[in-house]
Amino acid sequence: MVEPILFVLMSMAALAGAVTVVAARNPVYSAMGLLGTLFSVAVLYVLQLAHLVAAVQVIVYAGAVLTLFLFVIMLIGVDKEEHWEEPLRYQRSFVAGMAGVVVLMAAGLTFFTDFDWVPAAVGGTDPSRTIGTVQAIAEPMFTDWVLAFEATALLLTIAAAGAIALAHYRRRPH
Amino acid sequence: MLLNQFLVLGAALFAFGVYGLLVRRNVVLILLSVELMLNAVNINLIAFESYLVSAQAVGQVFAIFVITVAAAEVGIGLAIVLMIFRNRKSANVDDLSLMRW
Amino acid sequence: MSWEVDYLAIAPELIIIGSLFLVLGLDLTLPRLKKYWTATAAVAGSALALIPLAFLAVEGETISMFDGSYVVDEFALVLKGLFLVTAYIVFLMSVNYIESERYYQGEYYLLLLASVLGSLVLASARDLIVLFIGIELVTGPLYLLAGWRKGDVKSNEASLKYFILGVLSTAILLYGMSVLYGLTGEITFSGLAEATAAMPNSPALTMAVLFLIVGFGFKISAVPFHFWAPDTYEGAPTPITAYLSVNSKAAGFVAMLLVMYLALPGVSDVWAPALWALAALSMTIGNLSALRQTNIVRLLAYSSIAQAGFMLVPFAAAAVAGADLEEAFSATVIYLVIYAVMNLGAFGVVIAGARTTKSGEISDWAGLSNVDSRAAVLVAVFFFSLAGIPPLAGWFAKFVMFRSVMIAGGAATVVLAVVAAVNAVIALYYYAKVVKSVWLDDATREFPGEFDEPPAGSLRLALAISVGLTVVVGFFPALATFVADASRVIAAGG
Repeated sequence: MVEPILFVLMSMAALAGAVTVVAARNPVYSAMGLLGTLFSVAVLYVLQLAHLVAAVQVIVYAGAVLTLFLFVIMLIGVDKEEHWEEPLRYQRSFVAGMAGVVVLMAAGLTFFTDFDWVPAAVGGTDPSRTIGTVQAIAEPMFTDWVLAFEATALLLTIAAAGAIALAHYRRRPH
Repeated sequence: MLLNQFLVLGAALFAFGVYGLLVRRNVVLILLSVELMLNAVNINLIAFESYLVSAQAVGQVFAIFVITVAAAEVGIGLAIVLMIFRNRKSANVDDLSLMRW
Repeated sequence: MSWEVDYLAIAPELIIIGSLFLVLGLDLTLPRLKKYWTATAAVAGSALALIPLAFLAVEGETISMFDGSYVVDEFALVLKGLFLVTAYIVFLMSVNYIESERYYQGEYYLLLLASVLGSLVLASARDLIVLFIGIELVTGPLYLLAGWRKGDVKSNEASLKYFILGVLSTAILLYGMSVLYGLTGEITFSGLAEATAAMPNSPALTMAVLFLIVGFGFKISAVPFHFWAPDTYEGAPTPITAYLSVNSKAAGFVAMLLVMYLALPGVSDVWAPALWALAALSMTIGNLSALRQTNIVRLLAYSSIAQAGFMLVPFAAAAVAGADLEEAFSATVIYLVIYAVMNLGAFGVVIAGARTTKSGEISDWAGLSNVDSRAAVLVAVFFFSLAGIPPLAGWFAKFVMFRSVMIAGGAATVVLAVVAAVNAVIALYYYAKVVKSVWLDDATREFPGEFDEPPAGSLRLALAISVGLTVVVGFFPALATFVADASRVIAAGG
């Protein structure tokens, strides 16, 4: 009984956060909305026994990435209003309508096809099983995907070095 | 065991992300919308993993890779935003005549 | 769980990583005037990495690592060779361009080497995670490099536009991958192929495949997902534009073909019509837009969109007709290899010619043959080769493409062949227009740039390699068909 209740609460929070991200005038509110979404999604991950992913979500996403976002928003100024008039008429309502249709289609697809397109669960659904622990994830990550892991490490290094090189501004004499 | 519900939540977040990406004008907010879309992907992966329980926790490993790559992309994106802000004192895509397709 | 790592098999990757860290260290320690050593390290690294590749090719064994998620077979070797040779040429073209405009040196080569590494990983990827990381490693550094001319607003915009559409396409691609995983419980290509062949066609599967095609469509800048390409190509530094239009486009192609051919052959009735439409639209819209261009880089941007359409033709045609994909696969790979060489040459000659003309407008190039006849000859060689005029390499690419379409047969295929033929004629018009401007038109003004001293040795070497390959492959097409034989191996293995 805990699962559905928690799901409803947290998914509502996640959706509320998402609405804030796309609708708030002030970029700081948008960032806070994303923070809410990230936290509620992390709770949902725990519900799905993805403990490590939930921790990474909070530490990396909510911790590091959002802080970076907030720094940049503060740096380029929160007082700068966005142009809120539409360059093309009805553009916003059109996009909203399209997005709504997509969600409805996805909902219909998932609810009315009774799972027959997802293969049956292989390992049962015993909540005591250990699928999301650090050991369970570390083993495949450092054997089968160790190459992808190293490549990701390189990508992070490159992103940091390149970002510094690009944002670094050397004033020329002229 | 919930699966459908998670997938619908994922689809909704993805749609919100696409909406934000298309209608927001501030580059930072466009980036935030992309993060919403990537979160939708992760919700899908985790929900499928918890339903399928693969031998190697594929879905969860994939999700961690997605989170890491997203962090790298945010670093790159914000560096580009700062560079443009230095030159133009603006972070709005309209000011950059960027959307002239 | 196979835990053995064959270090010879990943030696090219390791050499690139080694030179990457060497560049990083040199840039940190060397005094300002000796920074050019970073360029030397990058050039040497991309050349050295070809040596283990040759050993592996001679051995000819298929090496499978990491539980089958990383495979080094002949097909992967051919593509790695392509990526390394083109990267080598781009490095050579970069040396003087980067120095002459006083951009930061070390980081430039660092980022470009990382992108090359990504393409090497991509060529061997045989599951979705490695494929995804490979794609990101190719494109991530390029977002930054496209904006390398920091003070130039056009370059800033190029970078931003490329970045936003790049991450959007990544998100779409990942969404498709996640649904595909949910449907099958598999992420290795072989597992996906089995699972999708056995499963009935469902709307969810169709949606996942279409998401993948949209994501890849952005990466290869196929119409209607091409709109970022001309602006980004125009704004980015020219060597980066060459890299974008050759390496990163080839990487996108490789990723898409690997997924469609190895992982999803069972659902070809979903992706075949989509690829057919992409091919027809890319050729037509790309060529028609190229007709109107006055800037030589934008012209090449639209021409490369159209060329992407030509590259898709054999594969799309065979899939629509339900014919054997193997022949089409090798035709596409041959086209890709030849296109890479001649397009790099075209960009190289744009860099060389721009030293004299100081302009990207085609009208400003009029009469170039009077003052710089060597550059003018090269313009003729590369642009006629792109148009597909024998005996330059381009004709063989077009020939292979049409041959594979004819083998496939069927009504939809014939329509596509007709579209391709009409487009080949249109393309000839605008390629010839550039050559005419350079050779026949009178100069409308004094050329502002220097043309007495020849271009730097590295640029000349880059041009010499491209022109040599273009001419030799045109006269001896058998050289290119070994590529086809290699790509056949993948059919046996997959």
